[in-house]
Amino acid sequence: MLTIKNLSKRFGETQAINDLSFNVYPGQITGLIGQNGAGKTTAFHSILNFLNYSGEILWNDQPITENTLDEIGYLPEERSLLQKMTIEQHILYLAKLKGKRAQAIKPLINEWLEKFQVKGGRKDLIKSLSKGNQQKVQLICTLIHQPKLIILDEPFSGLDPVNADLLKNAVVEMKEKGAAIIFSSHDMSNVEAVCDRLVMLRKGRSVLNGTLDEVREQFGRTELYVTSEWPFEKLQQLPHVTEVTQLHQAQRYLLHLDDPNAGKQIFATLTGGQYITEFSQQPPTLDEIFRMKAGEVDE
Amino acid sequence: MNKLWTVISQTYANQVKTWSFLLFILSPFLLIGISGGVGYFSGKVSSEQSTDQIAVISKEKSLRTSYIKQNKSDVKPKITTTKAARVALADNKIKGYLNLTTQNQQVIATYHGTEAMNSSLKNKTLAFLNSLQQSLNYRQAKLNQNQAQILAKQPNFAQKIKDNKNSTKKIAGTISFWIMVFMMYMILINYASVTANEIASEKGTKIMEIIFSSTTPANYFYGKLLGVVGVIVTQIAVYLVGGWAIFLGVKHLKVVNDFLTSSGSLIKEVLADLLNINLAFLLFGVIIYTILAAFSGALVAKAEDASKAAQPTVYLSMLAFFLTIPFQDNASALLVKILSYVPFFSSFFMPMRIIDHSASLFEISLSLLLLILAVVLLAAYVGHIYGGLMLQTEDTSFWKRFRRGLAYSK
Repeated sequence: MLTIKNLSKRFGETQAINDLSFNVYPGQITGLIGQNGAGKTTAFHSILNFLNYSGEILWNDQPITENTLDEIGYLPEERSLLQKMTIEQHILYLAKLKGKRAQAIKPLINEWLEKFQVKGGRKDLIKSLSKGNQQKVQLICTLIHQPKLIILDEPFSGLDPVNADLLKNAVVEMKEKGAAIIFSSHDMSNVEAVCDRLVMLRKGRSVLNGTLDEVREQFGRTELYVTSEWPFEKLQQLPHVTEVTQLHQAQRYLLHLDDPNAGKQIFATLTGGQYITEFSQQPPTLDEIFRMKAGEVDE
Repeated sequence: MNKLWTVISQTYANQVKTWSFLLFILSPFLLIGISGGVGYFSGKVSSEQSTDQIAVISKEKSLRTSYIKQNKSDVKPKITTTKAARVALADNKIKGYLNLTTQNQQVIATYHGTEAMNSSLKNKTLAFLNSLQQSLNYRQAKLNQNQAQILAKQPNFAQKIKDNKNSTKKIAGTISFWIMVFMMYMILINYASVTANEIASEKGTKIMEIIFSSTTPANYFYGKLLGVVGVIVTQIAVYLVGGWAIFLGVKHLKVVNDFLTSSGSLIKEVLADLLNINLAFLLFGVIIYTILAAFSGALVAKAEDASKAAQPTVYLSMLAFFLTIPFQDNASALLVKILSYVPFFSSFFMPMRIIDHSASLFEISLSLLLLILAVVLLAAYVGHIYGGLMLQTEDTSFWKRFRRGLAYSK
């Protein structure tokens, strides 16, 4: 398990990370979300020992050392490969830096190239590959040594939906093998699709931390999806309704409540004891939570 | 250790497998080969086109034969008649022809040519004619053996040359000085830009984050440094081994043999000046400048600035190089003594003093120790802050980037 306790990091006048604490558990995927500059990359760099910090970062109760790095797979935000190498040379070079022997990695290369559908042979130069295929090779370099802690900084950025699915499948496969995985993302749909837990950063502080359900339930079931013949104006006048949004489907609306307990009363008013196609009271989506928390004013 | 070795071998292979390295390392041999080849062929062509040889014409066969026997390399023996000699002279195939005859017990020699006979051949010809005339005179005077021996007595002329070892040493010192400082300057200018470029180009690609997630920045830096040192050692070794091989290949050639005979002691002095502790000053000098170049390379914001990054190193080496020139004949000056202990300068100035034989063993050891210590401390410091320097990519001023790098470092 990765344990981060009271992590703080300052660059001159800027407090990049402020008293951050959270855990990343084996067999789980943790999403680290936050706006640009929230401190996600600085948090990753702290875990990887790139910089000095105050606080404590432990992997299986031990500080992270050069040997521990062998158990970590890291994909940085910006993709970068050594262009003059072949695919095989590149994979082997990085695997050797992870303490693996070339003989142990060589037989695995074809299998991984097939798994990620890389269009290119192992002897092809990196610079001859398309940008998408280079991204896949970089991901293979991150995962081929079977890391126990996987850190992915914006892994979905720049991937088309097909490749994003390949990545999701690979990440889920690694999770099932017991790896502890943490990744940052701006795209809440990807976080919602694969994450078990969520940590949201704002100006270096943790503003949300928990499982997806725990986080969403913190906000109460204040979203009401209804399909009703009631006109838009009448819906706006319902008690505890703060806002009504017309959704794309006909007669389908989203009602925002200021009190989750008002649902029962609205249900009774809307249906009048009659059949209704849709009445679903939900907590806010992650996207909405993200917007809400990102827009909050500091106390 | 394995990770360090992985970085060393990768850096080494990356440098050595390039065409530019191959050209750089082979260029002196190619230059020697080309200039030697051109010299050989032009010499051959000119020797075919014209000659310094003469023809010897004489009706007295024994006279002609004994002249040719004594001056084999100066005579074209195939030309035997005056007519053939005239044609050969007109075609510029001989320098001239010598007519030999005896008349009334007197030897008569007449040289025909477009220019006067060269002095060396003239001396040899006069010696031949004198000896011939002398034997004719003896024969005509009917001297007995004892009288002939008395008349044949020659004066004893001896030359006692004062030992010129000091002047040879001085010339050798000047030659060694120029070879040393130029070698130092050329090698470190090359490796300073190679190292700065290599590091700056990596910084631009951000591959550093991936590498630093596997090994420590300090380890990676030392690996890079040792890889480049490996390349430098390879270059020096190729020059030493290649130079020795070329020497073995050409030493049997007449021109080389003549050169070795005439300048053997000078060459020995120059080699003795260069192939000693000066090689250690050369090696550690290049290493300390390489570390500085790596540091400069790590401070750029983007790969395009790599050439600018090497500038501080290049300027410093130029300063050291040009400072040596006014002192080439004054190695015992105070400034030379001071700078021979200052790292970055000592690799130029201490070899200068060693060549001049004006530094004691203690002074040499102290200077080398200080240089090695500076290499170790600088490498340790740059290794310590390397991660911070390589990971920050803000395009701000030099000092802001440096401060930000220090703040980043663990």
